[in-house]
Amino acid sequence: MALLFKTHFRLAKTSIKENRTRSFLTCLGIAIGVASIVLILSLTGSVSNLIKNEANEIGSDLIVVRPVSKKDSISNIIAEFTSSNTFEQSSLSLSDVTAISNIKDVSAVAPIVTSTNTVGSEKNTFSSVPVLGTSPDFIKIEPLALRFGTFFTNGNKEKGVVLGHMLSLSMFNTINSTVGKTVTIMGERFMVVGVLDEIEESINFDNVDFNNALIMDTESLDKLMGSTQVQQINIKAANTDSLAAISDEITAKLKENKSGDENFTVAYGDDISHPASSLFMIVSGILALVAAISLIVGGIGVMNIMLVSVAERTHEIGIRKAVGASSQNILMQFLFESLILSVLGGLFGIILGYVLAFLLSIITPFAPYINWQILVVTFVTTIIVGIIFGIYPAIKAASRDPIESLKHYR
Amino acid sequence: MGDSNIIIELKNLTKRYGYGDAESYALKDFNLTIRRGEFIMIMGPSGCGKTTLLNIIGLLDRASSGEYFLNGEDVAGISARRQAKLRAKKIGFIFQNFNLIEDLPIIENVALPLVYTGYSKTARLKNASSIISRFNLQEREYYFPYQLSGGQQQRVAIARAIVGDPEIILADEPTGNLDSRSSHNVMEELKAIHSEGNTIIMVTHNPALTTYATRVINMLDGHIDTDIKTIADQNLPQPISVKIKNRKVKPEVVLGEIEPSKKRRRRKSHRRKK
Repeated sequence: MALLFKTHFRLAKTSIKENRTRSFLTCLGIAIGVASIVLILSLTGSVSNLIKNEANEIGSDLIVVRPVSKKDSISNIIAEFTSSNTFEQSSLSLSDVTAISNIKDVSAVAPIVTSTNTVGSEKNTFSSVPVLGTSPDFIKIEPLALRFGTFFTNGNKEKGVVLGHMLSLSMFNTINSTVGKTVTIMGERFMVVGVLDEIEESINFDNVDFNNALIMDTESLDKLMGSTQVQQINIKAANTDSLAAISDEITAKLKENKSGDENFTVAYGDDISHPASSLFMIVSGILALVAAISLIVGGIGVMNIMLVSVAERTHEIGIRKAVGASSQNILMQFLFESLILSVLGGLFGIILGYVLAFLLSIITPFAPYINWQILVVTFVTTIIVGIIFGIYPAIKAASRDPIESLKHYR
Repeated sequence: MGDSNIIIELKNLTKRYGYGDAESYALKDFNLTIRRGEFIMIMGPSGCGKTTLLNIIGLLDRASSGEYFLNGEDVAGISARRQAKLRAKKIGFIFQNFNLIEDLPIIENVALPLVYTGYSKTARLKNASSIISRFNLQEREYYFPYQLSGGQQQRVAIARAIVGDPEIILADEPTGNLDSRSSHNVMEELKAIHSEGNTIIMVTHNPALTTYATRVINMLDGHIDTDIKTIADQNLPQPISVKIKNRKVKPEVVLGEIEPSKKRRRRKSHRRKK
C-alpha cells in the first residue's frame, strides 16, 4: 500500500510537471484563497496580541468583570449597531462596584461607564463626545500617563474631569493651558484637572478611545444622566497569588447581589485579552467568509483542471486498467494529483499571506502573527479542499469503462 | 475440474448488447476449453464476436450469462477489484494499436503492469530493463513511444505483456497495423514466448499467420464454426518456471559480512600515524 502511495505521488508529480503553466495557475487560485485566510487569521491574532500585551503592561494582578448580555447572538449585535441607542442594557450596576470594593485583598476598583454627550467649552460645543465614567482608582489600574495636571481624586471628583489628548486639542486648540478651564455638560460646569498623554494603541481591553474621551467620576455622571450602565469593572488585587480566590469571592458577592443570577463573567490573566469589540469580531468574520469563498473558487479551479486532465488521459486510464489497475488505483492516482495541487497552492498561499501581513504591518500597528494553529488550520483546510474538489473527477476517472477508454484517442 | 492442464473453460457464455428490439448477441451459448500451452488463433469476419470474446477472457468485460473458469476458479461473478488483480497477475494484453502511454518512456511503459502487483520502483525498472534487452531495444529504453517505429512499438507492447510473467497472453490483431516484415518479427517473438510454455490467444484476419498456431478457431455470428488442432494436447510446450521472484531488490552488500571491529581498529591506527 505504501509502495502504491509512493507510485501515485510520483505519477502526480510527473503529470503536474508536464502541465506546468496549467498547474501553476490552478495553484495560484488556491494560493489566493489561502493567503487571504492567513492574512485575516494573522490580523485577528495580532489584535488580540496587542490587547494581551496591554493587559500584561497593566500587570498580572488585574481582574475584569464584564456583563454577559444577549450580545452573543448575531441579530442582537446587528440591532445594537443599527439603532442609535449606544447604551447597552448591562447587568452590572454601581452597587456591584461598591460590593466588590468591600472585598479584602482588593486594592482598587474602577468601573467603566461609557456614554456620549454634548460637551461645551467657553467658545463652542461638541456633540457625541465619548464620556467615560470611572472612579479615582482608575489611574492606579490603568497605565495611563497624564501630560498635564493630575487625575481627579476623592477630594475633587465631584467637579473635576480629565480630557483626552485629542479632545483637549480640538476643544481648546491647546494642551498646555487646558488645566483649570471649564467645560459644560448638560448645563453643569466642570473643571479640567488633567490632560492625558497621547496613546498610540487604539485598541485596548476597555474598548474606549482614550484620546478623544472625557473622563469623569461615575457618581457625578450618574447624577447627570439619572441612571448609568456599568460596562465593565476593573479590579486590582493586592497580591497576584490570590487572583483565583478573589475572583471566586467576587462571583459569590455579585451573585448574592443579583439574587442568584450569574449574568456576568469574571476574567483574569490571559482571558482578559479576548477581543472586546464585537464589531471587530463581525468584521473579521465577514472577511473570513469572503476568504472562504475565494478558496472555494480556487477549489473549483482545481476541479476544472482535474476534469480536463481526466478527459485528456482517458486513453491512459484504459491502458492502466487493461494492465491491471483497479478502479481504486485510478481513483487514488487522480486524487493524489488534486491533493498535491491544492497543498502546493496552500504552501504558496501561506507564504503569500505572510508577505501581505508583513506589508500591512508597515502601515498599521498590526504585526504579523505566526503560530502553529494558523499553519495547521490552513494546511488541513487545503487538504480538505483538495479532497472535496478532487474526489468527483477522480471518481469519474475510476468509473471509466476500460474497453471504451481504449478506443478513445486524443 | 480434475485436469490441471485446462487453463480456461467457458460454458454457455452469452454476451448480449441492448434490450428489446435493439437486442443483439456478440456471443451466444459459447463453449470453449483451452489447455495450458496452446497457441490459439481466432479468425472470422468483422463483428462475429472475436474481440468481445477476448475482452471477456481478459476480464475487461463481463458476460451477460454463462460460466467462466480460470485455472478452475469461477471468475464470472467476482468483484471488479479481484478482476483487476487477476488481470495484473495472470493476463497480458497486446493490442492492434499498441496502446502505449505516450507520456512515459519505453522502460516505464514496460514496467507498468508491475506497478499494480506491488514491485518497488527499482525492481520494476530492473525487470523491465531485462525484458527490453531481450527484444533488442535496450538502447531505446528512455525513448518515448512516438520515437519508435510501429514494429518496435509493438515489440515494446509485447514486452509489457510478458513482464509480469502472466499465464495467458491475449493479442488482438497484433500485426494489423504492421508491414509484413515487422509482423514477421512480432510473430517470431510470440512464437518464442509460446515455446516457453505460455498460452496465447490471438485474434487475426491474416490466414497466413495460422502456421504459427497450434489451434485455429473460426468464428461466425457469436459461435464456433470450425475448430482445428494442429498439435496433439500432450505435445504442447509446458511452462519452464523461470519466474521473477525478487519482488523487492535485496541490497547487494550484506551488512553482516563486514567486520565492524576490524574496520574501526584500522581507522584508529591510521589516525595515530597522523
